Amino acid sequence: MRQILRDKHLLKTGFFLLFIFPVVLLAQTPGTPLINSHLTGVVVDAKTHEPLPGAVINIKGTTHGVSADAAGRFTFVTGQKFPYILIVSYVGYRRLEITANGEHIEIPLEPAQSQLNDVVVVGYGTQKKSDLTGAIAAVSGPLLKQPLSSVDQALKGAVAGVQVTQTSGQPGGGVSIRVRGGSSIQGGNEPLYVIDGFPIYNSPAGPGILTGTPVNPLASINPSDIESVDILKDASATAIYGSRGANGVVIITTRKGKADRNSITYEGSYGVQSLRKKIDVLNAHDFAILRNDAFYDTDPSKGKYQYLSQADIDKLGAGTDWQDAAFRTAPQQNHQLSVSGGTAKTRYFISGNYFDQTGILKNTDFSRIGLRANIDAQPYDKLKIGANLTVSKSDANVAPSGIITSLLQMPPTATIYDASGNYTLRNPFENIFANPIATLQEQINKSTANRLLGTAFAEYNLVEGLNLKVLLGTDVSNNTEKNYIPASIYEGLLTKGNAAKGTYNSYSWLNENTISYSRVFHRHSLDVLAGFTQQEFKSDVTRAGAQRFVTDELTYNNLQGGSTLVRPYSDATAWVLHSYLSRVNYNYNSRYYFTASIRADGSSRFGKGNKWGYFPSAAASWRVSNESFFAPLLKKISDLKLRASFGTTGNLEIGEYQSLATLYTLGYLFGKEVATGFAPSRLANDHLGWEKTFQYNGGIDIGFLDNRLLLTLDAYYKKTTNLLLNVEIPWTSGQASSLQNFGSVQNKGIEISVSSKNFVGAFTWGTDLNVSLNRNRVLTIGNGAKSYISGNYIIRVGEPLGSFYGTVTDGILQTGEEGKKGKLTGNAVPKPGDRLYKDINGDGTFTTAADRTIIGNAQPDFIFGLTNNFSWKGFNLSLLLQGSYGNQILNSNRQSLELFNGQQGAAASALDRWTPTNPSQAIPRAKLDPAPVFSDRFIEDGSFLRVKSITLGYTLPKRITGKISAVNVFATAQNLFTWTKYTGFDPEVTSGNNVSPGTDLGIYPVARTISGGARITF
Amino acid sequence: MKKIYIALLLVITAASCSRLDEQPEAVITSDNFYKNEAEATAAVTAAYRKLYETGQSLYNSLFQIGVEMATDDYEAGPRARNAHVRAISGLTHDASNDRMEQLWKQSYDAINVSNIAIDQIALIRKGSINETIRTRLINEAKFLRALHYFNLVRWFGAVPLVLHAPASLSPDALYVEKAPEQAVYLQIIQDLQDAEHLPAPAEYGPADIGRATAGSAKSLLAKVYLTKKDWQLAADKSKEIIDLHWYELFENFADVFNVAKKNGKEHIFSAQFQGNAAYQGNSLASRSAPNEVPGINGDYADAIHKQGGLYESFGEGDARKAVTFVTQMTSPTDGKLYTFEPHLNKYYDPAVVGSQGESSKNLPIIRYAEVLLIYAEALNEVNHGPSAAAYDAIDAVRQRSNVPRLQDVAPGLSADNFRDSVFQERRKELVYEYQRWFDLVRRGPDYYVKVLKAAGKTLAAPRHIHFPTPQRELNLNPKLKQDPLWVNY
Repeated sequence: MRQILRDKHLLKTGFFLLFIFPVVLLAQTPGTPLINSHLTGVVVDAKTHEPLPGAVINIKGTTHGVSADAAGRFTFVTGQKFPYILIVSYVGYRRLEITANGEHIEIPLEPAQSQLNDVVVVGYGTQKKSDLTGAIAAVSGPLLKQPLSSVDQALKGAVAGVQVTQTSGQPGGGVSIRVRGGSSIQGGNEPLYVIDGFPIYNSPAGPGILTGTPVNPLASINPSDIESVDILKDASATAIYGSRGANGVVIITTRKGKADRNSITYEGSYGVQSLRKKIDVLNAHDFAILRNDAFYDTDPSKGKYQYLSQADIDKLGAGTDWQDAAFRTAPQQNHQLSVSGGTAKTRYFISGNYFDQTGILKNTDFSRIGLRANIDAQPYDKLKIGANLTVSKSDANVAPSGIITSLLQMPPTATIYDASGNYTLRNPFENIFANPIATLQEQINKSTANRLLGTAFAEYNLVEGLNLKVLLGTDVSNNTEKNYIPASIYEGLLTKGNAAKGTYNSYSWLNENTISYSRVFHRHSLDVLAGFTQQEFKSDVTRAGAQRFVTDELTYNNLQGGSTLVRPYSDATAWVLHSYLSRVNYNYNSRYYFTASIRADGSSRFGKGNKWGYFPSAAASWRVSNESFFAPLLKKISDLKLRASFGTTGNLEIGEYQSLATLYTLGYLFGKEVATGFAPSRLANDHLGWEKTFQYNGGIDIGFLDNRLLLTLDAYYKKTTNLLLNVEIPWTSGQASSLQNFGSVQNKGIEISVSSKNFVGAFTWGTDLNVSLNRNRVLTIGNGAKSYISGNYIIRVGEPLGSFYGTVTDGILQTGEEGKKGKLTGNAVPKPGDRLYKDINGDGTFTTAADRTIIGNAQPDFIFGLTNNFSWKGFNLSLLLQGSYGNQILNSNRQSLELFNGQQGAAASALDRWTPTNPSQAIPRAKLDPAPVFSDRFIEDGSFLRVKSITLGYTLPKRITGKISAVNVFATAQNLFTWTKYTGFDPEVTSGNNVSPGTDLGIYPVARTISGGARITF
Repeated sequence: MKKIYIALLLVITAASCSRLDEQPEAVITSDNFYKNEAEATAAVTAAYRKLYETGQSLYNSLFQIGVEMATDDYEAGPRARNAHVRAISGLTHDASNDRMEQLWKQSYDAINVSNIAIDQIALIRKGSINETIRTRLINEAKFLRALHYFNLVRWFGAVPLVLHAPASLSPDALYVEKAPEQAVYLQIIQDLQDAEHLPAPAEYGPADIGRATAGSAKSLLAKVYLTKKDWQLAADKSKEIIDLHWYELFENFADVFNVAKKNGKEHIFSAQFQGNAAYQGNSLASRSAPNEVPGINGDYADAIHKQGGLYESFGEGDARKAVTFVTQMTSPTDGKLYTFEPHLNKYYDPAVVGSQGESSKNLPIIRYAEVLLIYAEALNEVNHGPSAAAYDAIDAVRQRSNVPRLQDVAPGLSADNFRDSVFQERRKELVYEYQRWFDLVRRGPDYYVKVLKAAGKTLAAPRHIHFPTPQRELNLNPKLKQDPLWVNY
């Protein structure tokens, strides 16, 4: 706590609270009493007749107001004479005007069609949206209905403060999610997923056989089974997840049966995917000229036609279009059959699902078959039990790594097949890489995942309000990866066939024991939660391989048939997390809300002296609109709530055994045998501890027009300290770095969410908009260092993460300028047509290493999502627009395509290259051996606006469907239109970690998908 | 109902059945290691592997890339595109040169592994290890530590003398200041004198071939004395090795680089390589092989610096010429004969045409021919002129390669001329064996600058007889100071 108090931002929060309390007190000051009437009454829900504690009752035309107590009762003692009109309001209910004539009255309020009534799943419990003190956002239902391979893809543009980057368009491929910006430099930055109570850090893990993009583990969870997704953002909401809360928490709840509504539903869709755009590259004719030019540039004495003569060039035509040869339109289908229903005491939801997505790149696909059973029951009055269980099997054929790069760089003059119809081996020129079509078609690169994820609980009601809950869960997964490189393709030439097969097994179990107490007395409402949880995770890897096969027929299924065996490998890891947690929610009269929580986490991953971390949080909110003085404004502003929170969360995503002085094996040859040696991989760090994130959040929720228009504003400041960094240490220690807690990063931002029911009634139109701004900055990086360079990126104090670090282009060297500007080309012998660069350090000479500066950043200025839902007479239309503004992308594909060395394919911009007759100021000349220089030319504006999803549905009228209870048909499209200046495949798809985000290098492009389907309920 | 209540309570109060201490099942931590003879042996095996760990590491091409490029004999070949390599070749390198940094980094990494072996093996409980083996293993590690310090002190001059693994991550443990060259040499000599107690080559069984021997220690010690200009000690030590008759020259120079004759009678200590065995091949083979011959797939990154005249210095009858260089090859794919400028060829392994990364040729760190040359040189200095024994020593090396005896073609040489003859002989005998740079700087800055300038490397300057202390180390270790000659470069 001392540490928190030191921070001046707490003072700000303190001021905020100080500001609130006097207002509260003022509001409580009663007026001068002059008693003319005495009224008693009770406010209830019109449907359930449950009392509504905290409902506000005002006398129209006055400022007199009271609020209902725990039993919904109220008493009015006023100077007003009967009859007078009462205005009764309660969050989530329609405001009611009713005449009081002196008798005891029961006031029934109709629930409003408002999100404020929605129940939001929070950590270890649920809350009504209107009661929240923290920043929590729910993903709207229609977004979850998109036909996607995994649920995380549905979060794109869904809620404020959540940035979703697709890291690969590979079927079943992953996305990367940042909740309120990335806060860790080296540790994990993905949010914690909690699926039906089971916490999962979603990071691909496998035996290491597969090449290319790994399959997203979340793709093994069927998105069609998901009922709701809630995202916890501020510390008040996430601190209950302690050491795993710093990157936000995504709570996923699967569907449950509904009492007395037994139904069988079939839902199916079929779609077609295609490539959004191709990269513009030179055709064979133009490429041959480029290659001739490059040769001529190096050795003019050999003439202008060193590669092909003009006559040969004229015969070439377009040559091979490698992109056309590799991409295809690909089908995708999804089928789901679910049975759900139950009685008041027992409910069930059982589903079977088959999802099959063929990739737009040949020989790639992903399919999943899954089964789910969710059951909950109340066998005794005081006992509730339940289980959520899913089993799935996923299969994927993954594009081998480097395929996209090879497709782009393969010269158009090269052919897929040779004269005898066999695959050509490789790029025939100096830059050697394999024929990508042969790789795609002949290499086998498969992954299979079987997963069982389940939780079961029993909850016992000890006395009224006091519940004891035990939850057990397990997540078991077996991944098998298989790879075979036949002898017939280039990659297999040396090995004469290379087979590898490996398995990765992981097993995690969870036990949570919580006790909760909930009580409403008078106008006080209290919820207390306390618990102990433990989770253990174990994994093991085995892999084996062989080379030199007589035949390619048996692939990886006959390793013993290989005459060279590859050294086998096995590994095992485990981690354990023990936690104590507690939370108190208190509200007075539905006006003043307080939440405090704390979690103590003990993790095996940290140093001997630093196993335990403590993560407290506190929050308060004030529902101003429930104050009686607010009553006159209720017509205009139907809801107003102010929120503030602060707290600490942690990050432990560093992997296992990082604090220990582990040894690794390395062999040395003595005689004819390789002996095994052990050498230290790192120095021990007994003090290794958590990354700590302090976060402050202030928010306002406002509802207008009976909450038809809801506005939520949040501002946050997040400071992450004790960053887990591989701090460089002197090499004389025998090591290069050691993992230590060093450095800090801040994120601050604003989130705006607007939800509006523009039209209600027969024709409805709803709009949801979210806009998020996040500003990231590195504060310190330890050991007094000011910056460090990581490839094309720099981490510099005062700058955001993801800063591109490179050279700045400055035109092209023209004939006659060699003497004056030659030193700015970076070439020992400058020639006209060389690219010129800015001399950043001012020493008069350009060198790639010394003349670099920050030339852009991968983080956007803001991101947004806009959803519109329309419905009219059984038709519904839903449209999601999504975008990002101000981020830049390192177009690495383009950098290699603009080398113009004639040894590999070239971008179409080569047509405007510098020649003596075309003194271009932008595009350098062709030359055989250019040094690749990373410059601002390859940094592009990554802003985009995209129609992410559009769905048109129609529910058939009852008179047509007859006995079938509902038939809904729909057509949907993903990524239908995109507006961007970005020249690569797709602005949304980039890769890289937190240090180097926003690089587009050889990434599988995302597809445009159009599909249609039906949902039939019996 | 009561039963359920009790059952629930039981689950809650059940003590946690998982533990927070990490107990890795698949990795060893140093706390649980170094307990017996097998583990002690593994610790020393690791120290050997630190002679080179990967395709570009100390005794697997880094010496060439990071050191030998800065001589009159070698340069960065056409496929050595890296700016840092080219900088060393052109003597424009500075304290941030990454290849030179690797020399420092990898040497200290290797020293750390030896330090751990020396300290930890000494601590193994009596009875858990055969005492003879204990002593041998410690002495092997000392030999390796001495070898790395000998390299470091010659490359960088004064360097931090680290003899134990850091005890913690505290500044006291991590920041070490430089020790004077003299102190480093004292430690090297002490370690080598201990290592002289290692077994003689014949005492090792076939499974231990490749380990350092008493002969390795004595030979390296002779070389240390020679470098320090302790001429009498160098002469005595090299004479001691000659008189032991453990080693002989191969009759045929080609056998020095014949895979079938690996670890033969002339080889005193070599870095061991083996291709195509899920092990490491000698990277120099592909770095020197031509890339213009289809199917050879050479890198041609290590080239001869033509102006230095190395190739031309070989007489036609010199048996070493055809082993050391290659000027034509038949393409395995098109069957045509290709002729090209001379390429280095000592490590080209004809068993792995097209994938020279798998060359099985060892890299000699010290061999008997060099001991003879050390003896000749030291004797010449001791006696201020060549004695008959000095002539005999150099002529044994010359005669083996069909080069006329020096005592026949140039009898009665002055001490200066004989010294030059030995140096020239070393240059030709030890091409591509990581010796040239050491030989040039051993004779002082004037000599180094003169030779390099004559070879057209006009940027050579006196500071180049050492490499600068890596900037990274200066940044991270406040106790470290740059070599005064390098301060403004």
